[in-house]
Amino acid sequence: MRVEATTSRQPPSPRGVSRLRRLAAVLRAFWAVNLAEELQYRANLLASVVGTGFWLGTAVLTAAVFFRQTPALGGWSFWQVVALLGVFNAVAGVVEAVLRPNVGRIVEHVRRGTMDLILSKPVDAQFQVTFRRIVIWRGVDIVLGLGLTAAALVIGGRWPGIVEVVAFVVALAAAVAIAYAIWLGLMSLAFWFVAVENLSILFDALYESARFPVTAYPGAIRFVLTYLVPMAWITTVPAGALTGRVGPGFALVSALVAAAALALTRLLWRVALRRYTSAGG
Amino acid sequence: MIIRAESLTKHYRVKVRDPGLRGALRSVFRPRYREVVAVESVTFGIREGEIVGFLGPNGAGKTTMIKMLAGLLYPTRGRAVVAGYDPWTGGAAFRSRFALVLGNKQQLVWDLPPEETFLLNRAIYAVSWPDYRRRVDELVGLLRLEDVLGKPVRQLSQGERMKCELAAALIHHPRILFLDEPTLGLDITAQETIRAFVRDYRDRTGATVLLTSHYMADVTALADRVLIINHGRLLYDGALGALAERIAPVKRVELTFSREVAGAEVERFGVVRSREPRRATLEVPRDGVAQVSGRLLSELPVADLTISDPPIEEVIGRVFAGETGAGAP
Repeated sequence: MRVEATTSRQPPSPRGVSRLRRLAAVLRAFWAVNLAEELQYRANLLASVVGTGFWLGTAVLTAAVFFRQTPALGGWSFWQVVALLGVFNAVAGVVEAVLRPNVGRIVEHVRRGTMDLILSKPVDAQFQVTFRRIVIWRGVDIVLGLGLTAAALVIGGRWPGIVEVVAFVVALAAAVAIAYAIWLGLMSLAFWFVAVENLSILFDALYESARFPVTAYPGAIRFVLTYLVPMAWITTVPAGALTGRVGPGFALVSALVAAAALALTRLLWRVALRRYTSAGG
Repeated sequence: MIIRAESLTKHYRVKVRDPGLRGALRSVFRPRYREVVAVESVTFGIREGEIVGFLGPNGAGKTTMIKMLAGLLYPTRGRAVVAGYDPWTGGAAFRSRFALVLGNKQQLVWDLPPEETFLLNRAIYAVSWPDYRRRVDELVGLLRLEDVLGKPVRQLSQGERMKCELAAALIHHPRILFLDEPTLGLDITAQETIRAFVRDYRDRTGATVLLTSHYMADVTALADRVLIINHGRLLYDGALGALAERIAPVKRVELTFSREVAGAEVERFGVVRSREPRRATLEVPRDGVAQVSGRLLSELPVADLTISDPPIEEVIGRVFAGETGAGAP
């Protein structure tokens, strides 16, 4: 239940440009602290490079094994699938660098009560729980992933035009936004059920399906991956836009899907906070 | 009044679960709920610059009260105005006006020196650089943090950490401090440092302080006024000294004798709280204490005599035992 104050001395809350400038300042401070934290664990850089290099090698080899049996996978050639694997790895890098260390920690904030401290600060709580940390070493995944995609384009012998590159950038940004929305949606459930960290495993399992173009799956599964759990938008559409397998119009649709997903999870987040503030102990 | 609460009420719905597997299953399919009263119809006002202590046993509703005033919990009924804002719709502007320190929760970044957290809060509260430097210098001086600032938080003692938590919470110069168990788990010296700092800070800045504590010493040393809560109800609102007079209108007389004295000889003068052969503690009515002391000195072999108020723990204990006896004035 909400109570209205009679003394409605509500000051103008910062809007527009000054609000953005404030958020940018907070972001800079978050990352300065974060860089200092991460520099204490420099060995992680080496582990990241070796681990990701190994993973990429295995993934490409597995694809190569498939392509010994078939000239195309869901209509995609070998080098197109390798380009997609690069995108898969780049988005996985964003998940590991930003989503898991931030959004994945909501559960802990709720359980240990530090959510109270976050909520008592004059900066949007969703912003705080989204951007507090970056595991910078996992940025290696993003670089190596995009590198693999570029290499696949060169070796595959089909260099994209400017329209395709723009469509790719739009679709990739949308892909990151969709992955974020799914994570935030899953982790918001912590406000109801508290112990939901295992839901991140659910994401990992679903994300595995994005390793192949969605067209490689039979109809029913393809429907699910496109419309219900929108994994198709995370790898198939960006890689497809870059390799010309998917028209540039799809990038725009992808941006709309991302906008809808973000709006929906923002709503869910607010409902969750409302529940937290009217229930919590 | 910088804080006003009117009939603030908070009820929780708690899932009731029978023990065992069967109970667990039933609570999944047919959940039953029980209303728990955390805070019931509490009304009070706090003036700017006051230090007010919430007293009460665990689960009395102290923390719920603070969380409601900080806008972290919606009340079931009632209203509050804090620093001119409605805590639940005041938004960022309201949240810049107060600081929240929770004794059992930490905002300092564990692996880094405390100053990194200060910088983080500087950005979050949009404090200008000159203000930031001036306040950090002041806080470091007051809390004697010079040697601590450069060490990672994980290497600090609990007392050092709490001092840094306080400093981090005050970077934005809040008008109101909500301190929930600020001395939890600290040793006596650290507790005293924190108390001295809070009082000093109030005197310098005129900030209003609302604190909860298990430790009676925190409250007796700091608070101008106490609110005693139990089972979510306000039992007493007023000065600690006045409480002792109302609830326990007695003085305590501690006696040391030059030779052994029989129990019967002492009992004539008042209620005996404790007795050894050569020592005794008596409780006598407040207004008769001078006369009784005179008689004790002339009739018994008294070597030493001190008069004091009964310990505040006991007074509060009587409030809880009586419940209805006190009532808010």
